[in-house]
Amino acid sequence: MNKKRVAIAFVILCILLLVLVVLNLCMGSVFLAPKAVFEAFHAGDPDALNLVIIRDIRLPRILAAVILGGALGLSGYLLQTFFNNPIVGPFVLGISSGAKLAVAIALIGLLSAGVHISQGGMILSAFTGALIAMGFVLLLSLKVKNPSILVVCGIMIGYICSAVTDFVVTFADDSNIVNLHNWSMGSFSGVNLKDVRIMAIVVFVCLVFVFFLSKPIGAYRLGEAYAANMGVHVKALRVALILTSSLLAGCVTAFAGPISFVGIAIPHLVKSLCKTSSPRIMIPACFLGGSVITLFCDGIARTVFAPTELSVSSVTAVFLVPVVIVMMLKKKTKSGVA
Amino acid sequence: MKGLSSENLAIGYDRILIDQICLSVKEGEILTLIGPNGCGKSTLLKTLTGQLKKKGGVIFLGEENRENIGIKETAKMMSMVTTERIHPELMTCAEVVEAGRYPYTGNLGILSEEDTKKVRLAMEMTNTLDLANRDFMTLSDGQKQRILLAKAICQEPEILILDEPTSYLDIRYKIEILMQIKKLAKEQNMAVIMSLHELEIAMRISDYVVALGDGKILGTGRVEEIFKEEFIRKLYGIEGEDISLIGTVPWMEETKSGDAKNFSDSGKEAVSADCSKPEAKPEKEMNLPKETKRPKVIMIQGTMSNAGKSIIAAGLCRIFTNDGYRVAPFKSQNMALNSYVTEDGKEMGRAQVVQAECCKRKPDVNMNPILLKPTGVTGSQVIVGGKVQGNMSAGEYFRQKTSYIPAIMEAFETLSGDADIIVVEGAGSPVEMNLKKDDIVNMGLAKLLDASVLLVGDIDRGGIFAQLLGTLDLLDEEERKRVKGLIVNKFRGDKSLFDSGVEFLKERGKTDVLGVVPYMQLEIDDEDSLAEKLGQSKLNQNCKIDVSVIRLPYISNFTDFYPFAQLPEVSLRFVNRPDEIGNTDLLILPGSKNTIHDLKWLKTHGFDALIRNKKEEGCVILGICGGFQMLGESVWDPDHVESSQSDSETGLGLLAMKTVLGKEKKQVLFEGNIKGAADELELLKGISVNGYEIHMGETLATGDITEFTSGQTGYYSGNVYGTYVHGLFDSREVLKGFALALAKKKNVELEIDEVLDYADYREAQYEALSANLRESLDMEKIYKILGLKT
Repeated sequence: MNKKRVAIAFVILCILLLVLVVLNLCMGSVFLAPKAVFEAFHAGDPDALNLVIIRDIRLPRILAAVILGGALGLSGYLLQTFFNNPIVGPFVLGISSGAKLAVAIALIGLLSAGVHISQGGMILSAFTGALIAMGFVLLLSLKVKNPSILVVCGIMIGYICSAVTDFVVTFADDSNIVNLHNWSMGSFSGVNLKDVRIMAIVVFVCLVFVFFLSKPIGAYRLGEAYAANMGVHVKALRVALILTSSLLAGCVTAFAGPISFVGIAIPHLVKSLCKTSSPRIMIPACFLGGSVITLFCDGIARTVFAPTELSVSSVTAVFLVPVVIVMMLKKKTKSGVA
Repeated sequence: MKGLSSENLAIGYDRILIDQICLSVKEGEILTLIGPNGCGKSTLLKTLTGQLKKKGGVIFLGEENRENIGIKETAKMMSMVTTERIHPELMTCAEVVEAGRYPYTGNLGILSEEDTKKVRLAMEMTNTLDLANRDFMTLSDGQKQRILLAKAICQEPEILILDEPTSYLDIRYKIEILMQIKKLAKEQNMAVIMSLHELEIAMRISDYVVALGDGKILGTGRVEEIFKEEFIRKLYGIEGEDISLIGTVPWMEETKSGDAKNFSDSGKEAVSADCSKPEAKPEKEMNLPKETKRPKVIMIQGTMSNAGKSIIAAGLCRIFTNDGYRVAPFKSQNMALNSYVTEDGKEMGRAQVVQAECCKRKPDVNMNPILLKPTGVTGSQVIVGGKVQGNMSAGEYFRQKTSYIPAIMEAFETLSGDADIIVVEGAGSPVEMNLKKDDIVNMGLAKLLDASVLLVGDIDRGGIFAQLLGTLDLLDEEERKRVKGLIVNKFRGDKSLFDSGVEFLKERGKTDVLGVVPYMQLEIDDEDSLAEKLGQSKLNQNCKIDVSVIRLPYISNFTDFYPFAQLPEVSLRFVNRPDEIGNTDLLILPGSKNTIHDLKWLKTHGFDALIRNKKEEGCVILGICGGFQMLGESVWDPDHVESSQSDSETGLGLLAMKTVLGKEKKQVLFEGNIKGAADELELLKGISVNGYEIHMGETLATGDITEFTSGQTGYYSGNVYGTYVHGLFDSREVLKGFALALAKKKNVELEIDEVLDYADYREAQYEALSANLRESLDMEKIYKILGLKT
């Protein structure tokens, strides 16, 4: 582990994050120069248009992208650790689709029953869906040891979930579908500060918890057998990994819908940036990396064709799929894994 | 004890693959598993490390059940290197090795300075320091293996488990890594268990070998027992096949020891040489280094307890010794209360002491590595290599007895270094069919030692034909082949009357009869308290002086009193009931293995009142060891050494003193004298005494008592004497003094012309025994059986 390289990597990530935050504050359907942003905060007029734009629209969105992006990166890292497989992520394994299905059932079912669903309820249903999908994947992983086949199974589970979602949607009222459709596109729009508070609490608790798992995760890199021999409670660790990554993925899906590829690609990008796999480094770095990429993609999603917004997922796919492909090719030629 | 052992371990994936596995590796030892592919070596290792759940039995780390040790603690005791290839991404070698410090670091796994030092040390040991910053995945297989070994080392385990540590490695790395493993065992005192495919290497590096195959353990033992060509061929299923492709390897019979010797480094080498057949041609034998010459081994087994194995073995020892051979006796396991303490404070059975004396050498605990001393109806104190291992029930001992094989073999090997002939004694009958499995005392031992067997029957107790022929009949074919001759023991009367019997035995048993030994009246230490001696309890009217010893249920060291047998006018009796005592002149309370129990027994059987009466009558009362303790006011047992129920027991109250039993066993030789005695016994004063002490507990004077034997080892008050010193009567002056004092007291005249020190007396007895045996046994044939004469 080269400490200097790691330090530089963190500095780069922080600078990128800062720059992106500023850019995202400034850009949008109304362009505000950094100076205008600064002034809006200091003018003190709570109803000034600029301040409303920044405070109620852009800032929550930026924070959501940072927090949920980080959560995705972290969730991907945990899943890759769990499966000891570099090509898994919450989206690939159908976890996001499971969450989406659960949210769809909850939204449509409850709305047609006249009940308004709260954010907490959304998270809960997304988390439940994520866990159920994960449960299926886990069951399969008991039988299927080949990682490639496991990924295929995950994708299949994703398709089944999507199919069921479509089925539910088909027989739902149009008015009930609108929300779901917007949501399932994957978007950070419409997030308010109250939502941000909830997601921040969930994600940061997970982050701290995971950080304290870095010792066993580190040992787990040598494989289950060695880890157990060194004194790791492997079963407990696996349960912790799977629950936290599902909770993180579920949280993201609940607030922003399924966002693809961040979870798979980030750990690899960060690993090659830091040239280490030490969890003490990887955990904060994956979080930061996830934040940076997601913020970057969200910025593009809402500005490039403004005022029309793209789904974040489309942007992340465009940027990150090549990364995943390159990585897979590299792996294949190097060691024959994956 | 550090190390790893298993008891009746059952292993397997879905169903049991092998069960009843009993292994034991101690610190500093290397145990190697060999066997064909798929025989379960890895499964066993994985079960030991905990990767696989065991299917039954117990694994012990040190003395603790593995299940009761936390995962972290286990990690500090045991580390491993497996055949599984690992793919840690972007980890430097240093990081991989650092992972070994896992159980020692804090919550975040940050290494302390100490940890870093240990990592460095481990990498230095494995010559991997230069790899520290390399990415693990870029290493060659050999380098990876060394890094993983470094990781395992820096976990600082007591037990190192290695699954085929040499696979994937070229010869250079193979040698390097095995040398490191050897170093770890010998210098860092780790217990190493590993599996190996390379038999030649396994031969040289291992202390013990376990051969697995065919769903069971096919063999366990030291290298030389396992690496016999026939066995190896059977193990790997290559019986009768052409294996010339692998060239000459040390375990092949044809290989002369010289070839093997060239490869070996140190220490173990005699072992590889051992595999050459002992019956090498004489001129060849001359060329062999001296230590490779194996002693001839002859084993005496009996058709039943007390058939006379010990005596015959002792007699043979003396005959061989007199014929100029260096001889040593051996018995793997003795069950006897009556133990002997060697000069270095270790306990062993008496019978081997006698036999050692017949061999004219000092008793050595290696002659009797396992001693069981009954402590109750089914329990025994287990003493291995002279050291107490604890109390075990018979069942417990039976289940784990194979784990003592290494100790037995080690003892035997030590003896072998310095002997031309080893006379091994069996125990009980070799055909106790219910106990025959995993036998380590009779035929099982004969196999281990490759001994020729002589079978002794006791005609005095009748049924000699059934005894001998029945025993032969119950042996399996291989065992029966080992029996080279029969001996009829304890024959009374005219031998020629039995000639037809001999013919019958020869014919039906298809085995030579080596001789008919007459019934001998010998005063030689008997094996245990079952000996016939103790039967005598009636007063002998012809004797002038009567000595009575109370036959306590847990009597021990009863040979203390045998020297009296030298005095024809003194009778020695062992009494079971108070009414048998009569007008005795000396009443002795002997040693006991369970003082409290026997003290209670005395009281419930009415001995206590009688002893007090005898004291009033003026009869001399002598307590020895346990008997001495009983004479005091009380015996305390705060640690429940002897009794699980009571803390203390009131004594007979004849001496003002009390005894506290402790866990520490005192075993020392005694050299002192008789400090004081009263009345007629005063003439004993100043006589020097050489004996020994062996007891658990301390006795303190609480009132007016005077020192009897010096060094506060004994006290007296009036006509009551007590001492911790065993072997009091072994010195002729004490013996004579006691006899004369008792005679004076009784006012009778004794004609004691020649009394010997008991040692000299025994020497005479041994000579008589050997002369007797030489006459009745066909020694020519016995030497032929040994291969010492043609």
